[in-house]
Amino acid sequence: MALDVEAIRREFPIFERKIHGKRLVFLDSAASSQKPRAVIAAMTRVYTHSYANVHRGLYALAEEATEAYEGARVKLARFINAPDPAEVIYVRNATEGLNLVAYSWGIEHIHAGDRIVITEMEHHANLVPWQQLALRQGAELAYVPVTNDGRLDLAALPPLLADGRTKLVACSVMSNVLGTLPPVTQVAELAHAAGALVVMDAAQAAPHQPVDVQALGPDFLAISGHKLCGPGMGILWGRGELLDAMPPFLYGGDMIRTVKRYQSKWNDLPHKFEAGTPPIAEAVGLGAAVDFLGAIGMEAIHAHEQELLAYALPRLAEVPGIHILGPGLGERGGVVSFWLEAAHPHDIAALLDEDGICIRAGHHCAQPLHERFGIPASARASFYLYNDKEDVDALVAGLHRVVKILGR
Amino acid sequence: MSSDLYREQLLDHYHNPENFGVLPDADVDVEMDNPTCGDVVHMTARLDAEGRITAVMFEGQGCVVSMASASMFTEMAVGKTPEEVAAMGLADIEAMMGGVRLSMGRVKCATLPLNALKLGLKEAGKL
Ligand SMILES: Cc1ncc(COP(=O)(O)O)c(C=O)c1O
Repeated sequence: MALDVEAIRREFPIFERKIHGKRLVFLDSAASSQKPRAVIAAMTRVYTHSYANVHRGLYALAEEATEAYEGARVKLARFINAPDPAEVIYVRNATEGLNLVAYSWGIEHIHAGDRIVITEMEHHANLVPWQQLALRQGAELAYVPVTNDGRLDLAALPPLLADGRTKLVACSVMSNVLGTLPPVTQVAELAHAAGALVVMDAAQAAPHQPVDVQALGPDFLAISGHKLCGPGMGILWGRGELLDAMPPFLYGGDMIRTVKRYQSKWNDLPHKFEAGTPPIAEAVGLGAAVDFLGAIGMEAIHAHEQELLAYALPRLAEVPGIHILGPGLGERGGVVSFWLEAAHPHDIAALLDEDGICIRAGHHCAQPLHERFGIPASARASFYLYNDKEDVDALVAGLHRVVKILGR
Repeated sequence: MSSDLYREQLLDHYHNPENFGVLPDADVDVEMDNPTCGDVVHMTARLDAEGRITAVMFEGQGCVVSMASASMFTEMAVGKTPEEVAAMGLADIEAMMGGVRLSMGRVKCATLPLNALKLGLKEAGKL
């Protein structure tokens, strides 16, 4: 293994605890990741040492808090290779980031007769905002299909761009169900050539591989901080000139330059989109999270998960009656969704829990995708930097036990 | 097997459900699902002249908890009035299932058959 998982695990206090008396095998990082000491300490330090509201106080403590809060933004900009930290907007989560684009950019630019293109593999967070925007504006919503082996059917995109009506293409950088890593750079090139903007949902990709907004080429990109070792918040990156031209999403304090009785002027980026008191300690914690991940290296984390995947896929395939969703090695990240002929996903998750193994069961906020594969739900195991082959072995043994108990 | 929830009693109902199928000439015919997990039950029931439930059948797909609950419930509901069914809740279902304590995530699965029958009785004008 390229990563020293033993040493990494020691950085995550949660692995000191037991679940039902067993070692914790955490395979649900795609839902939310565990937190390293560095992040917890950074947030504790804010609260115990330099907490005050930001951008307001004229005293030393407030300046320290503001410095830490804005310092984190610079780190995050570097993490995604954003040209300007002012393009990095703090939001509650990836969902809010995507909604910000739908409300602020979408309502002004999507009109009756326009088309929004998304894909069949989208999480509800990158689906429902566009579906509702299309309904509200009288626009058309079209889906790029997913192939039977879980890849994006890229050939279906150009026809959807040909008539010039498509104004926006929204696409996940990594599917939270299939693990698929679709060719998003190509999607962006095709969309841009047809005059459409591109929104990328990097909630799953950013924790596990380098995400470079200048290389990938989106106009907006949303990230979930809590999935990349950080606290419960997210960021939205957008091209400066687009963000500059957009109206605010939420109104109130801090996002304002001047307020008169009957009109107001907006603050500069990024503050225009950060109304009210922001998540101060969380932002600092998120900065610490990208420092932590950066020190290990996103390439190394990606390589580690690919190695785990290469180890896991053939072993999982030996579980009787298993059906694994998604493409093969080389086209996917460390998320493996599957279903068993012998057991409902709920029962799989509940029985694995007895062994201290945490996986997700359900539709993982991707109902249309599950419908596409003709199943109501699936079970999902997802890997991160603190997982190793022992965790895979525990999962495989646990699944054999499930089949033994529930099969007949 | 160390499992509390996956005891023989529930597994038996899961593998060999009672009253599995559709009741002909049913007074109550209802389908309900749990979209978050994909559980679905179709329940049919007949009532006698005094309004008591005389027979219940179910079909559906789901986890051990929802399917075992449905199987057991088709037996338990017989002889009850619609009002008695309407008054039932989670505690009754837990008792029916042998005194299990259901975790938050499984409550919806276990109560799906009960809630389906309540809805069906209402829709049929029996409640
Ligand atoms: C692909 C994808 N997009 C968006 C989201 C939503 O992220 P959040 O819960 O941070 O809003 C998730 C996570 O659940 C996801 O997996």
